[in-house]
Amino acid sequence: MAKSYDHLFKLLLIGDSGVGKTCLIVRFSEDSFNNTYISTIGIDFKIRTTEIQGKKIKLQVWDTAGQERFKTITTAYYRGAMGIILVYDITDERSFENIQNWMKSIKENAAPGVERMLLGNKCDIESRRKVPKERGEKLAKDHGIRFFETSAKSSQNVDEAFNALATDILMQMSRRAAHGLKDPVDLKSSSKKGSNKCSVI
Amino acid sequence: MDETLVAADGKNLRAVLCQRCGCRVLSAGTATLATRELLLPSMKKKSSLADESNPDCELLAEHWLVHDMFTFENVGFTKDVGNVKFLVCADCEVGPIGWHSLEEKSNFYVALQRVRHE
Ligand SMILES: Nc1nc2c(ncn2[C@@H]2O[C@H](COP(=O)(O)OP(=O)(O)OP(=O)(O)O)[C@@H](O)[C@H]2O)c(=O)[nH]1
Ligand SMILES: [Mg+2]
Ligand SMILES: [Zn+2]
Repeated sequence: MAKSYDHLFKLLLIGDSGVGKTCLIVRFSEDSFNNTYISTIGIDFKIRTTEIQGKKIKLQVWDTAGQERFKTITTAYYRGAMGIILVYDITDERSFENIQNWMKSIKENAAPGVERMLLGNKCDIESRRKVPKERGEKLAKDHGIRFFETSAKSSQNVDEAFNALATDILMQMSRRAAHGLKDPVDLKSSSKKGSNKCSVI
Repeated sequence: MDETLVAADGKNLRAVLCQRCGCRVLSAGTATLATRELLLPSMKKKSSLADESNPDCELLAEHWLVHDMFTFENVGFTKDVGNVKFLVCADCEVGPIGWHSLEEKSNFYVALQRVRHE
């Protein structure tokens, strides 16, 4: 059967427990059904279809549990991820400081060319803000990645952020294709890690 | 069974939508009608049983079957329950609307009774 889409991007949400990762993949968190059985089991991943630059893109978004922090997070989750969304809570200083540790964890476990994005979530509760927006912007800039402040509660910037990340992955793919390089994350290829080190810029 | 749902080749004539929020689960012509008795936990808001590990179940026989999970437009997969993952609406998480066994890697079922059709 012919493929009904152009690209499939696997995205992973990471960050401390309680920052709102699970809420970020439930689009209508306020309105959600809250079936006790489903919330007890938990959601593993979601598949969503979106269109970017005329291409039909399937996003497979994986949630992870923040408690399995740093070490025990299974490398299986990182494997095959083409985009990683680092989330902190703007009302929780510690969750922001821990982004450095999550960055380290990505470096150790994810494919070298993986696209990253930083989200400061819960921006709807300005009154409890502990992390100024500028600090998030600066951290993202230092790592050369995109930054958004989001609210899973009001869905502010949520779709925008996911689409921006998907667009970045798409652009990276076409840049690589133009240079005859393989995709950084290719499950079928057996090429060794780090073989795509040459700069594409 | 409503004939306006199934084409001569067994495919779904109409798109499959979430009953509750209308989120698009499958586009028209992407799934095949399959008859198989599968046990799905109730979609009721609160299980009448206090024991969540043992929810009310319903035996359902008519399903839309797809063989590649990326055929879905929008869907959520639960964590494993034994060898099974249940399917839920990607937007409002109503469910289970479908069933997938880890032992049958390329079979994904969506129960006709738990969705609506465009
Ligand atoms: N005000 C507000 N609350 C939020 C937002 N996002 C999440 N929350 C709340 O924060 C709490 C934790 O959210 P979760 O999505 O469960 O957090 P998580 O990152 O998945 O946590 P773990 O699964 O433990 O790693 C919940 O009580 C949510 O209701 C937001 O944007 N605004
Ligand atoms: Mg969670
Ligand atoms: Zn729904």
